[in-house]
Amino acid sequence: MAASLDDAPQNPLRLTLLASVVLLFVLALLSRLWFLQILAGARFDELSQSQAVRLVTTEAPRGQILAAGGEPLVSNRAAPTVVVDRQVLLDGNGEPRSEGAERVLEDLAQLLGITVEDIFDRLSSVRYSPYSPVPVLEDVPSEVRFYIQEHREFFPGIDVIDLPVRTYPQENLAAHLLGYTNEISPEQLDDPDFVGYRQGEKVGRGGLEQSYEFDLQGIEGTNRLAVSARGTVLEVLSTIPPTPGDDLVTNIDLELQAAVEENLENGILASRSIVRRDGRNLESVAGSAVVLDPRNGAVLAMASWPTFDPSAFADGLTPEEFAAIFDTAVADEVPAINRAIQGAYPPGSVYKTVSGAAALEAGLITPGSTVPCPSSWQLGSITFNNWNQRSEGSMDLATALKRSCDTFFYELAYQQYVREESALDAGQQDVTELFAETAHGFGFGRELGIDLPAEQDGVIPSRDWKEDYWERTRANNCSLADQAAQTAAENPTPSAQYALQLYTELCQDGYRFRGGDAVNASIGQGDVLTTPLQVAASYAAVANGGTLFQPRVGDRIVAPDGTLVREIEPVALGQLPVSEAGLVEIQQGLKDVVMGDGGTARSAFSTFPLDEIPVAGKTGTAELGSQIPYAWFAAYAPADDPRYVVVVSVERGGGGSQTAAPIAARILQAAFGLDVDPFAAGDEILD
Amino acid sequence: MDFPALRNDPTARQARAQVQSRWQTATAPAKHVDPILIAASVMLALCGLLAIYSAKYAPLTSQGLPTDLYVTRQGMAMVIGLVAMTVAAAWDYRSLRTWSSLLYVGSVLLLVLVLFVGDVNKGAQSWISLGGFQFQPSELAKIGYIIGVAAWLHDREVDGFGAVLGVLGLLLPPLALIVLQPDPGTGTILLFVAFVIMLVVGVRARYLLVLALLGVIGLVGVVQLELLEDHQVQRLTSFANPEGEACAQGACYNTDQSLIAIGSGQFAGKGLFQGTQTNLSYVPENHTDFIFTVIGEEFGFVGAVTILGLFAVVLWRCLHIAAVARDRFGMVIAAGVAGLLAFQLFVNVGMTVGIMPVIGIPLPFVSYGGTSLIATFAMIGLVLNVHMRRFRSK
Repeated sequence: MAASLDDAPQNPLRLTLLASVVLLFVLALLSRLWFLQILAGARFDELSQSQAVRLVTTEAPRGQILAAGGEPLVSNRAAPTVVVDRQVLLDGNGEPRSEGAERVLEDLAQLLGITVEDIFDRLSSVRYSPYSPVPVLEDVPSEVRFYIQEHREFFPGIDVIDLPVRTYPQENLAAHLLGYTNEISPEQLDDPDFVGYRQGEKVGRGGLEQSYEFDLQGIEGTNRLAVSARGTVLEVLSTIPPTPGDDLVTNIDLELQAAVEENLENGILASRSIVRRDGRNLESVAGSAVVLDPRNGAVLAMASWPTFDPSAFADGLTPEEFAAIFDTAVADEVPAINRAIQGAYPPGSVYKTVSGAAALEAGLITPGSTVPCPSSWQLGSITFNNWNQRSEGSMDLATALKRSCDTFFYELAYQQYVREESALDAGQQDVTELFAETAHGFGFGRELGIDLPAEQDGVIPSRDWKEDYWERTRANNCSLADQAAQTAAENPTPSAQYALQLYTELCQDGYRFRGGDAVNASIGQGDVLTTPLQVAASYAAVANGGTLFQPRVGDRIVAPDGTLVREIEPVALGQLPVSEAGLVEIQQGLKDVVMGDGGTARSAFSTFPLDEIPVAGKTGTAELGSQIPYAWFAAYAPADDPRYVVVVSVERGGGGSQTAAPIAARILQAAFGLDVDPFAAGDEILD
Repeated sequence: MDFPALRNDPTARQARAQVQSRWQTATAPAKHVDPILIAASVMLALCGLLAIYSAKYAPLTSQGLPTDLYVTRQGMAMVIGLVAMTVAAAWDYRSLRTWSSLLYVGSVLLLVLVLFVGDVNKGAQSWISLGGFQFQPSELAKIGYIIGVAAWLHDREVDGFGAVLGVLGLLLPPLALIVLQPDPGTGTILLFVAFVIMLVVGVRARYLLVLALLGVIGLVGVVQLELLEDHQVQRLTSFANPEGEACAQGACYNTDQSLIAIGSGQFAGKGLFQGTQTNLSYVPENHTDFIFTVIGEEFGFVGAVTILGLFAVVLWRCLHIAAVARDRFGMVIAAGVAGLLAFQLFVNVGMTVGIMPVIGIPLPFVSYGGTSLIATFAMIGLVLNVHMRRFRSK
């Protein structure tokens, strides 16, 4: 120990070693500096006069959206766009770097016919990376391009480049399915799904653009450039070319889609000339149509009316355009809504397939067994009428569907309701609400998961739903009851008395699922709400023998060179909760609706070659308050080997046989390549 | 010869007293400050002030702020630093051995404290605010560690593996706490200092080789096992592959701009305030970690070599002092400080000239940052202390 104190504390060899390392460090830096400043100094000096290495990103072309036959529904075109390099013209505070720069921007504004303020609005946007040029005007005429490129000395930092812009070769066709693109939102930037996305990048919004964003989106390219102060590229330091996005091939049949849209519009407009018995014209304000392939759930066509021009989105909507498409205050019927998946309506009689299946499953009827169809049906003091207020004798399920007898279904629904109530009263747990359960099995009351955003789930009333609904609306109903009590006390008119009674009941025991609720739901009225897509999916399942498929617009993803990336496989959501014999009975009823004597849709198909192409279907005329009823028709054909399911729904379009069935018949004519009848004034209402 | 006579001979007595006094005077610590080391250190700090002034001149002007804002603060830090250097040199460093554990533990406790009350700056929690002043405990931890290890090693047998364990064991607490902040730059510095100290005290070569090997494996492992985020790896590796993809995505923007700044300075530089890269703020952090770009651009090769030369002088003096130190405690302090300064110089300047990865290590004396400047001067003070008391007698 003491030795180390007496001996020299140093290890000369090791200190020499350390000194050598230090010397090495200094020499390494020295030689590197010699290289940088002496040998390569001139080149760096040039670069420093250029004042920057700049990263320029090149937008990757977004994948196309194609119809089933390969025809483009959405494509890209190159839009000549004036871009301004902020680094060249602006200082750190976003002000023009010099008087010269200010003059350049003024000249540019004049050339483009816009104001300097317009340019600054774009330049101050945080959408763009600081090192990439900012687009200030898209789609400039070629004269402007040539002028700027010929007179670069007047326009330092300004260029005209081609930027990809969405284009719609089929114009308005399938507008509701496509969606549009715009800048990624701050929320999406934080979303882990969007990792790697950059501020200002365009992403799909709405429709297929949104659903297939990650397929359609390409990877932008990057150029690392050495650029001179005048904006000319001195040297490309490195380049990564953009990777274009993949294309989406849809199931949409271009011709059929066009026929669907045309006939939907024409049918809706033609129906407006129909005068009701009360003297009012049918309003037919809006509608939708869906065509599915029942064998796999493929959406062959989908239309919603009124519609809009999707290309308006590509260049950015003006406030007026936006209001006309989205704003309820401006456009009554908001064209932006895709009614086929976002419209939830009472289905009326098209829902009777569900009630029939439920009655079969409950054992209340068997295929062929009969139930009376009186002209009206009594529940306590309330009278429920048959739709035509006629008594039609006893009938089996198939006939009840053909004739669309309401009282038949009232009776069965009520019997099941009573059964369930007594089971509940007896304290039995897990009582199955068979009608609601069956509806879920048919795809109602839930999102089907179509590959389009914002699908509605609709409503299938049940005891739980009713109680839940009561909880949610109770406060409002109770305050309405208080108001009504006050009004009735001051002025006891019959309507005030009625309001008092109604709201008091809703406030106090609106949670009860009553017999009337069950009875109304059995014919697709009351609280039942469904989307046209749900109806179509349920009829597709009836048509194909019982498999409920998830409807889907996309068929496959292909690379830009056409090679397959992946198939979008059909998804079976389940089997219909009905026996095979029961399904056959229902199918028979649907055939009779179109082809049987006294079928409610028979007249709409009077010119249709039913011998060659048998059709099955169901009409629906759904009441919603005091409005003109909602018209429905759901069909499939050929009835013995179904290839098409067609569902048409028209808001305030009157009777299903009157407005919806004629449209569906013409869609089927188009689908089978037949001559399509022109629209004539409609028939009388047959449910 | 009549020695007693001689002893009583006034002339002889006087002569002897004269020799003794001359010897005492000659060995008096105050006479043995190292003016070269002091001069080189002060000149480096003055160069730093000038570079900071230039780096901040244009941005402060455009913000309408006084242009001497940063320089004044750094100048104050320099004055405090000179006081710290004087204090560190004044009392015999050997008495520090008694206090070494207190210094070491104190610096570690500050590192613990910063994790709880520290301010977050650029993603790392490494600052403590104290009545309007901010300081970085990790800078003090460097001194604390060097003194702690030097004291621990002072009278230890260094032949066995125990010395290695001691050096690394003392390293672990400050290193772990600094990595937690996270401040990988300072962590790397401590690792290198520990290695240098083991080298100079004479730990067996085979241990050193194994440790160096483990270090390399560890580094590769960190990268391979993806313990770092992608962008961290890109930043660390992009310097080696300037044409690569990471660069194209902007990972070497700093390096690109830094190379242009330094390279374009050429032989004589563009002159004070004339650096376009500097004035247009193309190089981020050019008053702190990238301060060397200002010197390279505005003073050219001449300026860069001057800075390197001043550092070479400082390092030469520190190594010389390590070689003449009277005891191992002093030797380890001087060599440790030399290793630390050399490493920071190499990594910092290496980063700006594109031969080292971009990690946050300041250039000693020169980079803006009060704590770093004061701590560096304090370390120089300690080394001076070792030099002043190098004589074995008395």
